[in-house]
Amino acid sequence: MDLRDKLNILGDAAKYDVSCSSSGSKRNSPKGGMGCGHSSGICHTWSADGRCISLLKVLFSNACKYDCAYCVNRRSNDIPRATFTPKELINLTLEFYRRNYIEGLFLSSAVIGSPDYTMELLIKVAKELRLVHHFGGYIHLKAIPGASSRLLFEAGLYADRSSVNIEIPSDKQLQYLAPEKNFASIYRPMNFLAERKLEYKTDKSKYSPKFLPAGQSTQMIVGASGETDFQILTLSAGFYKQQQMKRVYFSGYVPINADKRLPVITTKPPLLREHRLYQADWLMRFYKFEYNEILDEKNPFLDPDLDPKVMWALRHPECFPVDLQSADYEMILRVPGIGVRSAQLIVSGRRYSKIRFEHLKKMGVVLKRAKYFIYNSDVPRELHKLYPEMIRPLLIAGKPKNDQLDLFDAMPAALPAPAKAQPSANALPIANN
Amino acid sequence: MSLAIHYDSTFDGFLSAVFEIYRQHLDVSCFVAERTYEAEREAATDLFAQPFHVETSEDSANRLRRAITNAASKDVLNLLETCFRSEDANIEMNILAYLRKLFAGLDPNYGRNPSSLEMIPLITIARSVRREMDNMYGMVRFNKAPDGMYIAEIEPKYDILEMIVGHFRCRYPNGTWAIIDVKRGFGVYYENYRTHFVTVPDPSYISAHAPPDEFTRMWKSYYDTMAIKERLNPRLLRRCLPVRYWKHLPERSLSNYSAKNIGNVVPPQLPSEVAKSNASASIRLK
Repeated sequence: MDLRDKLNILGDAAKYDVSCSSSGSKRNSPKGGMGCGHSSGICHTWSADGRCISLLKVLFSNACKYDCAYCVNRRSNDIPRATFTPKELINLTLEFYRRNYIEGLFLSSAVIGSPDYTMELLIKVAKELRLVHHFGGYIHLKAIPGASSRLLFEAGLYADRSSVNIEIPSDKQLQYLAPEKNFASIYRPMNFLAERKLEYKTDKSKYSPKFLPAGQSTQMIVGASGETDFQILTLSAGFYKQQQMKRVYFSGYVPINADKRLPVITTKPPLLREHRLYQADWLMRFYKFEYNEILDEKNPFLDPDLDPKVMWALRHPECFPVDLQSADYEMILRVPGIGVRSAQLIVSGRRYSKIRFEHLKKMGVVLKRAKYFIYNSDVPRELHKLYPEMIRPLLIAGKPKNDQLDLFDAMPAALPAPAKAQPSANALPIANN
Repeated sequence: MSLAIHYDSTFDGFLSAVFEIYRQHLDVSCFVAERTYEAEREAATDLFAQPFHVETSEDSANRLRRAITNAASKDVLNLLETCFRSEDANIEMNILAYLRKLFAGLDPNYGRNPSSLEMIPLITIARSVRREMDNMYGMVRFNKAPDGMYIAEIEPKYDILEMIVGHFRCRYPNGTWAIIDVKRGFGVYYENYRTHFVTVPDPSYISAHAPPDEFTRMWKSYYDTMAIKERLNPRLLRRCLPVRYWKHLPERSLSNYSAKNIGNVVPPQLPSEVAKSNASASIRLK
């Protein structure tokens, strides 16, 4: 098997890992070598599904000894298998990097032999890149659950970011779908790395070695098992707080294996649900929302029709309208249609002049949504007299309908109606358009 | 009598022109940059305006720089320079409108106000220039020439080559490389820790010197395997990676090339496709 086939097989096996970022690490080019870390990360290209490619994302090997139901590489699948040699992989990384195709290496692996043996192979590649080839680019190493602490620690010295994927957001479901894994085995490396990073962080000297400068990330599959959005958000809020994660990724379940424990193979990936979850994730990371403000026990699912920020605003009419001239920055951030940049512009500009409608338009505020929630002399008074139930259909009506018309929708109900894909428990009563 | 100010298309030239406008109390209707290439959107020239040529003078440009720094701040000066790189049709008039308000002195806080009606469009333009600069960090593609030099061609919308050179100098300090702006006919050449700006009259001659090699083809096939078929989204792709950049990205433009040159190589059996077809087959058997 030549290198090109190996690269295709092992790239294909790694593509379901959604982590793509190359941010958070600022490295200068080492003496005699090449490569630097750019702190905001650099996307190099986008694949045909619109996901960014910034790192050479490959598995070291896809010959796995585990049998997780959702995974392409499980041992019960009859698929082509391949394994790199460290030299091949290092050469490939350096050549791609020299041509500016990639920002660095994202190295993961199926478990071959034992977790320790696999981890050793990954570390060998990273170590040789850093110490022999003086490579200063980004390295993302997977921490293999079950690897010893000594190896995890060593990985942290060479990698910029490390990650352990939790994949299934509840312990019971995880053990059901992946018999060799459980929450404890996944949390252990996460916690270990988070604690070591904290230790290194206290030592601020510029001569102390770096330990995982870009922190940790993890990912969960959405739609493979029956968790609610509220459970998923609770879990990810915990990761941000306790394990100091930089990112939690959501991956809409793409069916590959026929397995009676999983949704049928013809299910489409829940792209809209994934999108809404990312929106909620953004609210937590950049808009100062708490997870239990976005959803709660009674409303455990995000609304497919409206984004979570609008949903929060409609549930809290007591907070609106917001006076842009005097409200806190935090409150302006919560207005639907106003983003971080425009909120900052409003706050720094309102000292010098009154913020008018034309200012907002030029700043890029989405007035279509914001006008119901702000108090401004240019906003017609009637808009403030509307109830949330009246605003909701107005906000939805403005959107173009995305889904294709169904041939059978127009026919009389002779056929049994298809089951609804997602019950939205928190939907307010609205007129059906 | 309104004038069309001709200047040499550099930022210094523009500042000198503004300086002359103030010194001679000129009535301006438009600016004409004397470029050697065609800009993205050429300004509508005023037929009735009289051409008036302004020589670039470093001295007056520096005086105006100092004045802007004093009246507003260094950040504003940088912002104006970034905007100027957009080569937008009306950018000179927009900047002039801002400077007029700034130097009129009616509002002592005008230089610090980021939300004035003249400032917001400038901020938006500067943002898109910086966005293209950030994109270009990732979208420069080097080809290896036989003599070990790495050559890249770019065709950015805005004039940002000078802004990205520092990044690549930091990234490949020991290499020999060149980045050429094909549209504007100039490039940067780096060798022995020194950068040189050079004019390139015929870029096609240089690119023929460094054809795509085996690694380029591997990159192309890696790129193709990375897309998840169930999630294809051409609109999102075009939004993130505008079609105007595809020409110089081997992963988007090489498609026919690899098929032609390698002959009929059997496409590799990808694990995800094999697994999926096995799974569907097992269901059909049941």
